[in-house]
Amino acid sequence: MTNSLARFVSRCMALACVFAPSVHAEPYLAVGQGAKCSQCHVNPTGGGLRNAFGNVFAQTQLPAHHLDTGTDVWAGGLARFISIGADLRFDASSQQVPHTRTLAQFQMQQTRVYLGASVIPDRLLVYVDEQVAPGGALNREAWGMFWSADHSWYLKGGQLYLPFGLRLQDQTAFVGQVSGINMTTPDQGVEFGWLKGHWDAQLAESNGTAGGAATSNGKQSSAQLTWVDSLWRLGAAANYNNAAATGSRSAWGVFGGLKTGNVAWLGEADLVDDRSLAGGGVKMLATLVEANWALARGHNLKVTGEYLDPNRRVAHAAQTRWSLLYELTPVQFVQLRAGVRYFDGIPQLDSQHTRLYFLEMHGFL
Amino acid sequence: MLDVSGARALVALGAALLAACAGNGEGLDANGQPLGSAGGTPPPLTADFQSIQDNVFTPVCVRCHSGAGAPQGLQLDAAHSYALLVGVPSNEEPGLLRVQPGVADSSYIVLKLEGSSAIVGAQMPFGGPPLPQSTIDVIRQWISDGAASGPVAGAAAARFAVVATFPEDQAVVVPEVARIVVAFSHEPDASLINDTTVHLERLGTDAPEPAGPIFMRLADGNPRALLINPRGALAAGRYRLTLRGSGGGALADVNAHALGIDYVSEFIVDITP
Repeated sequence: MTNSLARFVSRCMALACVFAPSVHAEPYLAVGQGAKCSQCHVNPTGGGLRNAFGNVFAQTQLPAHHLDTGTDVWAGGLARFISIGADLRFDASSQQVPHTRTLAQFQMQQTRVYLGASVIPDRLLVYVDEQVAPGGALNREAWGMFWSADHSWYLKGGQLYLPFGLRLQDQTAFVGQVSGINMTTPDQGVEFGWLKGHWDAQLAESNGTAGGAATSNGKQSSAQLTWVDSLWRLGAAANYNNAAATGSRSAWGVFGGLKTGNVAWLGEADLVDDRSLAGGGVKMLATLVEANWALARGHNLKVTGEYLDPNRRVAHAAQTRWSLLYELTPVQFVQLRAGVRYFDGIPQLDSQHTRLYFLEMHGFL
Repeated sequence: MLDVSGARALVALGAALLAACAGNGEGLDANGQPLGSAGGTPPPLTADFQSIQDNVFTPVCVRCHSGAGAPQGLQLDAAHSYALLVGVPSNEEPGLLRVQPGVADSSYIVLKLEGSSAIVGAQMPFGGPPLPQSTIDVIRQWISDGAASGPVAGAAAARFAVVATFPEDQAVVVPEVARIVVAFSHEPDASLINDTTVHLERLGTDAPEPAGPIFMRLADGNPRALLINPRGALAAGRYRLTLRGSGGGALADVNAHALGIDYVSEFIVDITP
């Protein structure tokens, strides 16, 4: 390790020790620390490759036990200009649906590899997020991003995740499915971001086809504004997509976070008006409330409640989803998760009454 | 050391969650659709397309697979699903058709529903339990039987018309798009599909010029879909597809009902990455 890197790591560790004792890699961490996503990720809207600070922070503050590696601390750097990262999630699960035989299986949820090239240090980054498992390789993100000299604004272009609400780890959350914007549905376009003091703002213009063939019928416009404070944050997002020949789709969201003692709260409510569907369109509402209780360093208890109204014009069709997860990070780079998700919906559909029990190994670097 | 100060907050969350209850399903049919919207309770799932649409695609898939932002461009609402499934190459695995009539094992939709190791991305339905194997078996049976579309409802049944094209009108596509798909409301008369009724031209600053030789055929098992394959990769530029539906020898369906108008659709091939 070079002297400069050693000094940097030392500074990171010192800074990390200032923060609260439990950290992981989700929005609740940012809420718990009163930090913006760009504190730990190279992407200012969060997720994916961690920066050097995020890497050191995760190793020193995240696990219950830190295995000492001396001065050899992983900071994501392969070479002076190249950084890599990865996430691997592997599950053993039991899925119970009424009147259906229980499905017990091992499943590779995903393995993603991130690569960032800081071709102009601190100013120009070329970035790729590639899903390599399960199945064939699938490009999720590929973009270039230019930062202003004072990092108060940036311009990003390529295939990217759109800014809309909380960027949750759970891509199956109702708020991510209903809005159609999550980390499985990147789109091709450009994003302008402005970060000043407590404010974060993004504007994006994209094809509106979730990475598919573009159309001149229209485009997708996204806007998001967030106020980030040390104990709370509040944001609003809007999205309008008129790329479909059959009609437009609009989405509005409000989201936020709050820290109360050792509990970090997340909340989001999204309203979607999809006029591309027959019969005058459909209005959908999805909400999420989540509490993350930091029991001790490396131990987190997560409780999530979700609500989905799949059609505001149709009564008695709502669905809920409750999750209880225990997350243990025994040592750096490894997280073990045990959880249960309970779905509840209309009695006519067995699939809306699923119970999912799972154990997950999450490896990350 | 265990810190119990968060317990009170979790109790509060639990109370809030109890207030948000799921619907009781009153007034909804077996697929969660309003009673009466489809003439009452739908019949149980059978191996025909309309039944699969009513029992699987509409209640399970449309929540995500709708509108322009539908994942992989696959819209599964009743207006689009058949035209975008049968005989159409998968975006994730272009070597496989989403539905290959007669060959369920090679149909990408089956692989996605069963979570085959050959798929790209996640098993469907995303975020929900897999469909029961009995349901997938019905879809398999429909495909093995030839993936017929079933009766055409409503106004579409009244006249011969173009219901969808891929690429869509005014779409921008990459050169790798090797196939143009035209979905008709009825099966066209194959003997009328020739160079005088189907034109693919490249539009430039001068007069339009033929885009080069093309090969045309009706999709296997889906005779309502016309597949147009350029013999080589299309160069960058703007293209116009014209289906002549008027005049002598115009496109008509197997019942000799002519298209009636000349249908025109344009798209752009863009080579920029």
